[in-house]
Amino acid sequence: MRAAVRTGWRIGAAAALRGRSGRPLSQAAQEGGGAEGGGGSGSREAVERLVREHPVVVFMKGSPAQPLCGFSNAVVQILRLHGVEDYRAHDVLQDPDLRQGIKNYSNWPTIPQVYLNGEFVGGCDILLQMHQNGDLVEELKKLGIRSALLDAEKDQEKK
Amino acid sequence: MRGPLLAAAGGAMGGAGGPLARTIRAKLTAALQPTHLEVRDDSPRHGGPPGAETHFGVLVVSGRFAGLPLLQRHRLVHEALRAELAGPLHALQVIARTPQQWESDPQAPPAPPCLGGSKREQRRG
Repeated sequence: MRAAVRTGWRIGAAAALRGRSGRPLSQAAQEGGGAEGGGGSGSREAVERLVREHPVVVFMKGSPAQPLCGFSNAVVQILRLHGVEDYRAHDVLQDPDLRQGIKNYSNWPTIPQVYLNGEFVGGCDILLQMHQNGDLVEELKKLGIRSALLDAEKDQEKK
Repeated sequence: MRGPLLAAAGGAMGGAGGPLARTIRAKLTAALQPTHLEVRDDSPRHGGPPGAETHFGVLVVSGRFAGLPLLQRHRLVHEALRAELAGPLHALQVIARTPQQWESDPQAPPAPPCLGGSKREQRRG
């Protein structure tokens, strides 16, 4: 209820703070949550902007350089295995409004949350299963991202 | 998952786990009629005191999952445990398989190790 009431007049403030691009990953992770300020960062509109910011967006605890949760770390490691190092990571521990807002947005109770092309795909368990069954390589391909694992397989075939 | 499950069952009170473990088991059974169900209390591995019951892993094998993508399967599990997830249940690992999938691969990956994320947290997440 509170978030809905705040949404209207806070969007302007949140929008003014956005517009960053090309930041190094660690910076994006540290500032992505805190720079939003106030209650607007958890609003539907603010979250929508975040998930559409980049083909791969992760909401986690800690940062890719220093995950603070085993499940969040698993997401980072899986992405790393596929050679995906350029993505947007948001540390929900830095922003309680975002932490709640992202759960409301996806109707998903836990962190981490992975978004591909603005669409919620799941948490750590789902990403792990997608990784194991080959679905993640396919989903990355749809985003124009070539998984590093494909190159690893190619190298093996050459031997 | 079998090793830790048996160990947890043996070490926990009464062998069936604490009250939340029993609630989780009961709710998942009622909602999904699983052919196989494992409920694992990971709380001790996340620095909680004995009996904390905050972090759980569940392995649910149910025909209800047939034809559903992973996301929908996990949402069914979350729905069954909505009250708990809004309350004491801080983290939930979910493996959701159909009976056919479970038969062809009766193993589940272990849970990721804890990295101490709760230190900065004031409320559950």
